[in-house]
Amino acid sequence: MADTRDLPASRRDVLVGALALGGAAVLGTAGPVRAAAATTLRVATGEADGVKGTLDPAYGNNDNDAVRAGLVYERLVVPDESFAPQPQLALSWKPDADGRVWTFALRQGVKFQDGSPFTARDVIYTFRRLVDPKTASAAAAVLSQIDPDGIRALDDHTVEFRLHAPVVEFPLQIANRFTAIVREGQTSEQLRTAGIGTGPFKVETYVPGEEPAIFVRNEHYWQPGRPRVDRVELRAIPEPSSRIAALLAGQVDIVTELPALGLQRLEASPDVKIQSARSSFWHGLAAFTDVPPFDDVRVRKALKLVVDREQYLKAIVGTRGTVAYDTPVPPWQTYGLPETPFKRDVAAAKALLAEAGHADGLDLDLHTSAADVGLVQIATLFKAQAAAAGIRVNIIQAPAADYWTNIWLKKPFVATGWNGRAADEALALEFLSTAEWNETHWRNKAFDDLVFEARKTLDETARTELYHKAQRLIQEDGGALVLIYADLVGATRANVRGYRVHPQKVTFDFSDVSIGA
Amino acid sequence: MAVSALRPGPVARLAARRLVFAVLSLLVVATVVFWAIELLPGDAAQRILGRDATAQALAALRERLHLADPAPMRYLHWLGGVLHGDFGTSLAANRPVLPYVGARLADTLLLAGAALAIHIPLSIGLGLVAASARRDGLVDTLLSVAVLLGMSVPEFVIGIALVAWLSTAWGWFPPLALIDQARSFGQVVLLLALPVLTLNLVMTAYVVRQTRASMIEILQSDFVRAASLRGLSRSRVLLRHALPSAVGPAVNAIALNAGWLVGGIVVVEAVFNYPGLGRLLVEAIGNHDVPLVQGAAMALAAVYVVVNLAADVATTLLNPKLRTALP
Repeated sequence: MADTRDLPASRRDVLVGALALGGAAVLGTAGPVRAAAATTLRVATGEADGVKGTLDPAYGNNDNDAVRAGLVYERLVVPDESFAPQPQLALSWKPDADGRVWTFALRQGVKFQDGSPFTARDVIYTFRRLVDPKTASAAAAVLSQIDPDGIRALDDHTVEFRLHAPVVEFPLQIANRFTAIVREGQTSEQLRTAGIGTGPFKVETYVPGEEPAIFVRNEHYWQPGRPRVDRVELRAIPEPSSRIAALLAGQVDIVTELPALGLQRLEASPDVKIQSARSSFWHGLAAFTDVPPFDDVRVRKALKLVVDREQYLKAIVGTRGTVAYDTPVPPWQTYGLPETPFKRDVAAAKALLAEAGHADGLDLDLHTSAADVGLVQIATLFKAQAAAAGIRVNIIQAPAADYWTNIWLKKPFVATGWNGRAADEALALEFLSTAEWNETHWRNKAFDDLVFEARKTLDETARTELYHKAQRLIQEDGGALVLIYADLVGATRANVRGYRVHPQKVTFDFSDVSIGA
Repeated sequence: MAVSALRPGPVARLAARRLVFAVLSLLVVATVVFWAIELLPGDAAQRILGRDATAQALAALRERLHLADPAPMRYLHWLGGVLHGDFGTSLAANRPVLPYVGARLADTLLLAGAALAIHIPLSIGLGLVAASARRDGLVDTLLSVAVLLGMSVPEFVIGIALVAWLSTAWGWFPPLALIDQARSFGQVVLLLALPVLTLNLVMTAYVVRQTRASMIEILQSDFVRAASLRGLSRSRVLLRHALPSAVGPAVNAIALNAGWLVGGIVVVEAVFNYPGLGRLLVEAIGNHDVPLVQGAAMALAAVYVVVNLAADVATTLLNPKLRTALP
């Protein structure tokens, strides 16, 4: 079908080209650049990874990597939109009495893109590789509870994980960006550009840094009738205005990421549908709680009281987001705090500062960068708002390429942001004393104990209460100012069906996406 | 006289002498680039891993990339490779540098070629028109203002404005130069239209003014006056007698523009999402990817050398005075 469509299309295109050469410039843009086959889906991400890009799930760290992984691989478990675990390659799972040993029943009859069957051995290979120090994947920090020798196959389609300590939320913990299942025996070298998974598409051409990457239908895919397109072309268009123009002109069918502001043109266009998802992707500030003046909890409290969160929301995402109160778990997500704890109170902030010995104000160096959306605005707004309480902020801007490596985690006061995560993962990665990415140097034994206790508490109500207590501790005592949760925004051409933006930014499912007439 | 000028001798000697210097300057470029990147803070492992740079991951990557080796040793290793035609492996991509640079260079030359194909006749033509119009009259003034306006507005403003106007509003051209989507030559033309237009708006002024100034000077010289007095037509006087003598400075200005087109149009490449050499170079610097930076910088330098050589040869062949003065 696609073949017979090819010919007339290209003949027409040649004609169009000849007309253009003849000087006839008045031509529809959609016509000349429409792909030859009607079932090619053209996807554009916002973040260019260039030659750094990879198809190896162990090393993926940006949107392009995540889209590629979403096309080619699948996970045992995926989070749904409220971060509840849903089956993908696993059909079901159950813990032992204390949540330390987990048994996963795997989906049967699933084949890899090379036709080989998916079995427990692939699962064991994938997870052992991720936690192996020789692999040196950042996944090791996220999956530290997994004991590599405790992963074993009970039969071809049943896997058991024996953990170092009980984790009630284990299924969610393995639903992250690293845990895509790869076929047993593939080396990092192979996985980088030619990985084989069970996903709806297989790689046709992928050379890091060369665009577009091309993926074609996986004939062995296990979901009947899917995928619904024959081919996917993936590229990055880092410039937001260029991305919008390309979508409006029909040069791409899906853009996975858009700025939250300045979308009037797209909203007004009948050819485009904007997609967004409420997400716990947060923007804010982080202060080292072991460095003066932030080592005084009264100063930290004053900073939290002096900020006007509504203003951040308006300036950074407009209506596409929600105000946050210093916890990475939003109220609508599992274990989110129901209450709104406090309002802006400049007088109280001043009083706290005076009490802490800063009666005539405070001088702070705040580091920021254009490395991510919103970081610079956060810093400038903070400078303006903090002035009300006599806090004098000196903004130091770092080059984008340097920010996450040389400033963040190294300087005592920085603008920051985190992608949306399940509650336990967010609390553990950002706030545990032992966290690899503890950006506030906050080491609170009571908090750690609450999280560890929650992890082994099987009773849901009791567990929820523990996670709530842990979050209240962060609000009261921690060094993070979690100011807003930003929605994730993307868009498609109007004729694209089945595409949804997922609140876990790294989750992409193109298996049900189709292009209408 | 024209026949003797085309004899390979003098021009070939000029070219050969330049090429020897070219090879030397390429090596100098690569060496300077290597040490300049070494002096930048951070290293490739940090840049590649970004926020995922755990201590363990950093250590493993540094070992795989041989970053612990002393810099002079890495430099000599690279130099040894180049002597055997091996330009090294990109640290970030873990693939050979040469195909990357080659592919991007080809795309860059395509865009630069398309831009120059319009630029050369357009800017010299406009210069001629300005020179032959009434001095400071309407045409002359309008032309000056128009080209200066193009030069003084930053190229990303021009680019984004053209996209908003000619693409999003009127739908004449595709907004981005996604050349991989072209299925025919005509589509390539359409896809390149906006970047070529943007580049021409930026580049034209200098060449027009050079052409105009030297034409005005030449038109007042004795041999042009003599030609006019002999009763030759105005167009013949302008095109056959005055222009060849006047075009020298314009050719050099065009050569400068050509060099800019190859290495300096990063912003235009970004606006139109064009896979050019400039963006590759910026990305490689951001990644601390020394071999890739060296490869891209050498390609840029090579194009500069060739373009300047071509400009010198062209000026020499065009100008009767220089032509006969060759050794």
